[in-house]
Amino acid sequence: MVSVGTVVWLASELMFFAALFAMYFTLRAASPEMWATETDKLNVPFALINTIILVSSSFSCQFGVFAAENLQPRRTGGMWNMKKWGMIEWFILTFILGAIFVSVQAYEYTELVHHGIALDSNPYGSAFYMTTGFHGLHVTGGLIAFLLIIGRAYIAKKFGHFEATSAIVTSYYWHFVDVVWIALFAIIYFLK
Amino acid sequence: MKIESWLFLGGTLFFLPIAIVYGFMTGWSEWVGIPALFMLVALALMLGGYLMFTAKRVGPRPEDRNDGEIHENAGVVGAFSPWSWWPIVVAGSAAIGFLGMAIGWWILYIGAGLSVIAIIGWTYEYSRGDHAH
Repeated sequence: MVSVGTVVWLASELMFFAALFAMYFTLRAASPEMWATETDKLNVPFALINTIILVSSSFSCQFGVFAAENLQPRRTGGMWNMKKWGMIEWFILTFILGAIFVSVQAYEYTELVHHGIALDSNPYGSAFYMTTGFHGLHVTGGLIAFLLIIGRAYIAKKFGHFEATSAIVTSYYWHFVDVVWIALFAIIYFLK
Repeated sequence: MKIESWLFLGGTLFFLPIAIVYGFMTGWSEWVGIPALFMLVALALMLGGYLMFTAKRVGPRPEDRNDGEIHENAGVVGAFSPWSWWPIVVAGSAAIGFLGMAIGWWILYIGAGLSVIAIIGWTYEYSRGDHAH
């Protein structure tokens, strides 16, 4: 029930990002010469590494979900024995990877501002920061959600379906945000 | 039940040709409608696909059979809050935060602080106190 509601909400989030994509393409069609000069300033290999970090966080998140579905909140083996990890360990790893993604993106923003692309400098700056910025806010929201879910797992004396359900729907959100980033990355850094 | 997934997958079948026809009629130059229509296809596909996936996972349900009995659906459906004050606290803190954007930035900090309390209160309502489990 909770998961169906989450998917319906994520479908509406898809249309929110549809508006951002529409904005990007409209501005791009209006001033193609600006896109030609401004996209050269992007650091594509840097963003590619960041994308790989975000995609790998989706995998660690899914392993956390498998642990949650087995109602296993904590690890049963040693710290570095990943096969025996529970939901908490996988979600903490996911949180760290997601935090790296947001930090690297913030660093990339400062680089671009140094190259003269700011939110208020030109239409390209607006399109770039609005699309990636709203995505970054979604990632940040997901990181907060992971903290709350990890806290719930710690607080529960008996880790049950109540905790597992919230972990699963948080993973839905995380995968969704990840897929949106892959589309954004393909459009902004490759299609240009 | 098949109807629940096809209700949305039907939207996919409808909007996909619509999006392509729209693209050709505008000469692939109108960049608001084209991405919006194609993502509408994705929206319908996402909902329909998820419902189909869930239906497969849950298996045949008694409400789909003519001889289904009410008691066959007995059991735990999920955890639902009977009532809660926390959504009002979240809404109030969000309102104070947005008021800060309109009037003065200092109000935003009050809204942000209250939001932290509200979100933690809402998330942990059934994990602590009398509901600790």
